[in-house]
Amino acid sequence: MNRSALQRFVRGRKSGWDELEQLLAAPGRRTLGQLEHLDRLYRRASSDLASAQARFPGTDVERHLTQLVGRALGTIYRPARASPGALRAFYAHAYPALVQREGRYVLAAALLLMCGMGLGAGVVAAEPRGAELLVPAAIRASLEAHELWTDSLLAVAPESASASIATNNLAVLGSLFAGGLLLGLGPVALLTFNGAHLGAVLACAHHHGMLGALLGFVAAHGPVELSVLVLAGAAGLVLGHAVLEPGEWSRAEALRRRGRDAVLLALGAAPALAAIAVLEGYVSPGTWLPAGLKAALGLALAAAGWSYLLRSGAPSAGSARARDARALSRSDNTAS
Amino acid sequence: MAAHDTQHLFVTTPERVTLSLPVAGVGHRVLAWFVDASLLFLGWCTLYFAASLALDVLQWLRALEGLLRALLLAGAFSAQWAAWTACEVLMGGQTPGKRLLGIRVTRRDGGPVGFTESAVRNLLRVVDFLPLGYAGGLLAMLLGGEARRLGDLVAGTLVVQDGRVDLSGYLGDPAAAATGRPLSPAEWELLVHFRARRAWMDSPAREALAARLARHLLGPGGERVEDPGVAESALDALAGRDAP
Repeated sequence: MNRSALQRFVRGRKSGWDELEQLLAAPGRRTLGQLEHLDRLYRRASSDLASAQARFPGTDVERHLTQLVGRALGTIYRPARASPGALRAFYAHAYPALVQREGRYVLAAALLLMCGMGLGAGVVAAEPRGAELLVPAAIRASLEAHELWTDSLLAVAPESASASIATNNLAVLGSLFAGGLLLGLGPVALLTFNGAHLGAVLACAHHHGMLGALLGFVAAHGPVELSVLVLAGAAGLVLGHAVLEPGEWSRAEALRRRGRDAVLLALGAAPALAAIAVLEGYVSPGTWLPAGLKAALGLALAAAGWSYLLRSGAPSAGSARARDARALSRSDNTAS
Repeated sequence: MAAHDTQHLFVTTPERVTLSLPVAGVGHRVLAWFVDASLLFLGWCTLYFAASLALDVLQWLRALEGLLRALLLAGAFSAQWAAWTACEVLMGGQTPGKRLLGIRVTRRDGGPVGFTESAVRNLLRVVDFLPLGYAGGLLAMLLGGEARRLGDLVAGTLVVQDGRVDLSGYLGDPAAAATGRPLSPAEWELLVHFRARRAWMDSPAREALAARLARHLLGPGGERVEDPGVAESALDALAGRDAP
């Protein structure tokens, strides 16, 4: 026979490759028979790839088989789908356990925020003109006129205010987390600055005798909102720490390992933001609830949230889970 | 397909075969992003107008209109993240744009992206976008080894080419190819690529190349193939098929 070995190879094997390609592209559930066939075809294609690499390197046949086996690999070794059950398990165990495991970052973020608040309030209390630096002019003007700028929230439709509050909060959360990549400077600066801003506004309101009214507005949503800020800031600090001090890993590898935890830490808190947006848009500006009730509501929500985060998720189960996860990731490494 | 200077991701499968997947370039990824972003924009416009229209018709739902608009606005923010993540998880690492451009997201170990990886890389689009128009991400892709933007670095993913290679050139007709000496794989490769690309060649270059190839592949006795038309039909006969 004069035909080239390459041509003979393709001619003999191509029908199996085409069949594998069709099976991979077919939508919907596969029957057991199809799965067994898929497995057989995949093994055949990968042994064909091995022989193509040895006999016909750099040809289209090798490239075709590489793509085919790569695609099949993704289908056959597919990770478990996320299910509603997994979401429930995440909030029942994994998320509180994660928050507890990263507790020192959460604490650091909370301290940064409080430092900022103390600083801002201290500056304005000691020297009222400091407000010119720390409090936006519009807010200062309305405080001096003894009306709350938040009253104007009611003038526009509350629901659109709620929407813009939601997007604004999401943007703050996103930049707190993502800023962690900038050596952790993002969350440090944002937490301190937001804290200073808040402290200065409160002190300025006190100076003009508006503190009670302002607290009445803030009380319902403030505690939970600040808690979410702290969690997102903690996630940013986790990222920043991974960049600054990667330990035995390369920076990219450290980022990958810690990035997962950081994202879950920030994402887990996101649903609370949606709830807060509704409160901030509908409940806080209204006058139909007395300020005391609003404050009780806000504090109760925050207390419930923190007691959930710090007490549920049975620490022993959580640490066993963490050990499992660590063991899993170790075996991943030895395999690859 | 892949040029020789493209970077490759090397993956060893559980079957002990090493894949070398070519890494997708910046150009393909930018184009895929444009396709996806346009689709998203179109989708949201349609949804918004449809919702407004429906609410205008159903006057008794007016009380709900504000809430719906609020949801739409909040949704628009998370839409890009949710849509991208859902597509990548459900479509095997691809979005419509990526499928069109023939690229796909994969983990560094060659496995498919799961929810967490996809969520991370899409959440970090915010940072990659900084300061303007994905400048940060582009910089990371150009400086780093495997064209990975910051989101890819944190998620442990990268984007590889997922092209289809046409193998029909290798099949041919067994009877017609049964003349002359056997060709080496490299020579076959040359022949197949010439036949695939000749449609885009200038005719002088094409004729000269056909003559050179015929002289080389048909061996001595190639003098008669100096005539360009004859050279190409001789090559076609060698490839075992009529000219496409």
